[in-house]
Amino acid sequence: MGFTKINGKMVEAQVVPGQRLFSQRGAMLAYSGEVRFTPNITGGQGGVMSMIGRRVANEDTPLMTVEGEGRVMFGHGGHHVHVIDLFGDTLYVEADRLLAFEGTLRQSTMFMGSQGGVMGMVRGQVTGQGLFTTKLEGQGSVAVMAHGGVFELPIVPGQSVHVDPQAYVAHRGDVRNKLSTAIGWREMIGRGSGEGFQLELSGQGTVYVQASEEKL
Amino acid sequence: MSYPPQPPYGSPHDQPTQPGFAVPPDYAPQPGYPPPPSGGYPPPPAAHQPPPPPQYAAQQQPYAQEQFGGPVAPLPTGHGGPGPVVWDVHSLPAGDNVNPYAFSVELNGAYFLQKGKMIAYYGDITFKGVGAGAIDRVLGQHFNSPLHASDWVVAEGRGKLLLADRAFDLNSYDLDNGNLTVRSGNLLAFDPTLRLKQSIIPGFLTLIGTGRFVAASNGPVHFVEPPIRVDPQALVGWADCPAPCHHYDHDYLHGLIGGLRRLTGFGGASGEEHQFEFIGAGQVLLQSSEKLLAERSVGQVEAEAGVPVGGVPSQPAAQGGGNPNIPGLGNLGDLGRRFGL
Repeated sequence: MGFTKINGKMVEAQVVPGQRLFSQRGAMLAYSGEVRFTPNITGGQGGVMSMIGRRVANEDTPLMTVEGEGRVMFGHGGHHVHVIDLFGDTLYVEADRLLAFEGTLRQSTMFMGSQGGVMGMVRGQVTGQGLFTTKLEGQGSVAVMAHGGVFELPIVPGQSVHVDPQAYVAHRGDVRNKLSTAIGWREMIGRGSGEGFQLELSGQGTVYVQASEEKL
Repeated sequence: MSYPPQPPYGSPHDQPTQPGFAVPPDYAPQPGYPPPPSGGYPPPPAAHQPPPPPQYAAQQQPYAQEQFGGPVAPLPTGHGGPGPVVWDVHSLPAGDNVNPYAFSVELNGAYFLQKGKMIAYYGDITFKGVGAGAIDRVLGQHFNSPLHASDWVVAEGRGKLLLADRAFDLNSYDLDNGNLTVRSGNLLAFDPTLRLKQSIIPGFLTLIGTGRFVAASNGPVHFVEPPIRVDPQALVGWADCPAPCHHYDHDYLHGLIGGLRRLTGFGGASGEEHQFEFIGAGQVLLQSSEKLLAERSVGQVEAEAGVPVGGVPSQPAAQGGGNPNIPGLGNLGDLGRRFGL
């Protein structure tokens, strides 16, 4: 189970009866076997209340349920794909970066303000996450899209990692993040370094960074 | 886990030697690049498990190979690490990829290429529009129909010719007395030993014979064998004789709930109701993205009883260019857009 990377922009998933996959709508490239793709009205797991939550939170990227038996290849928009295996830990990722994930994962929506109050909300604005982000937890695999290749940076206690907010893709583990600003008079007169905002991540976990500052 | 990670450049994994469709042997993945230096990050302590450092390194290497690997010649400048490679007329590969996005042709004679795909050349090469001059008479053998001939250029002479197309991935394919049908916008160049025909299926071209051609794709090409159903936008082409047909999935539109959905549109469509289905012996070429390359018009066939017509479907216009970064304000992301600035 899980996703097998075929090349940098394409993954393959084995679908077996009784196990569902969720994927972004329109992200299927090819399949063999008998596989059904059903648009997911609620946009993920958790019933109608979760759906309303997602709608309100603007995390309601159209998803479809993939069921049946066979192999399915996923890819979308020429973006690079990175497979993340979760072993009971938590992944925070923006919903529109989700290419596909296994149905064994629990999906929920998190309010950015719950990590650092107002500053968390500002951080959400700067990273393009908005006020809410999607949380996946449990056991299973996630295929995440990024513009440019993805690399992982480990975060260890006492050694925080600074990431350009636009290059930030996702993070996992027990990570606190805060927005550090380095805005001075240069930025005010338009002679800034272009790196006025940085995302500082500390704690224990991993941050996924894309090799580009372009959003999806 | 039925598929091993694919080696670069379209060499199909566990490629069976199909009659009439051979992949050049020099396309084997080369043990090339060292893993990229992992920068100045401190090694994580052993207590921190996901991901432990050895895995980290092991994950990086195939990725790097898949991105930059492939037929990389020894660096002529002699310095070790990855970096800009200086090519000259001798070190440029002959009939091979220079990098995933550029292809070098050793030219000795004539070569057909699409207009505007030459990026550089060494040697003495002339480019003539097809349909002009003395070469016209040889064209009859290669272009069976004059409909799309004006899109093609003949390169004649000796030298090395570099081809590229908007940074799309390029692959070359060898046909050995075979046939391959490819989307018209994806075909870049081909040997004059091949014959180019318009496919019965609108928007596709068929190459027949023996020789090599170069095609572009959005993302690396992946070869699959039928039976398979393919998203129409992900299809690049097919080789040999799988039977392409349409397949529709409407299962979820049946029944009461399905009827409601169909009437109200509630819940939307999965976007995967329509596929191309391939059955039979052969190979299907997939690109790793649903973004099509711009179609080339292959011309309209004359209206005639029994001839399927229908031009190339119109392309949705490319998405607008996103938000321009406001200079001087730093990386504000789309803060401006969100606040209506």
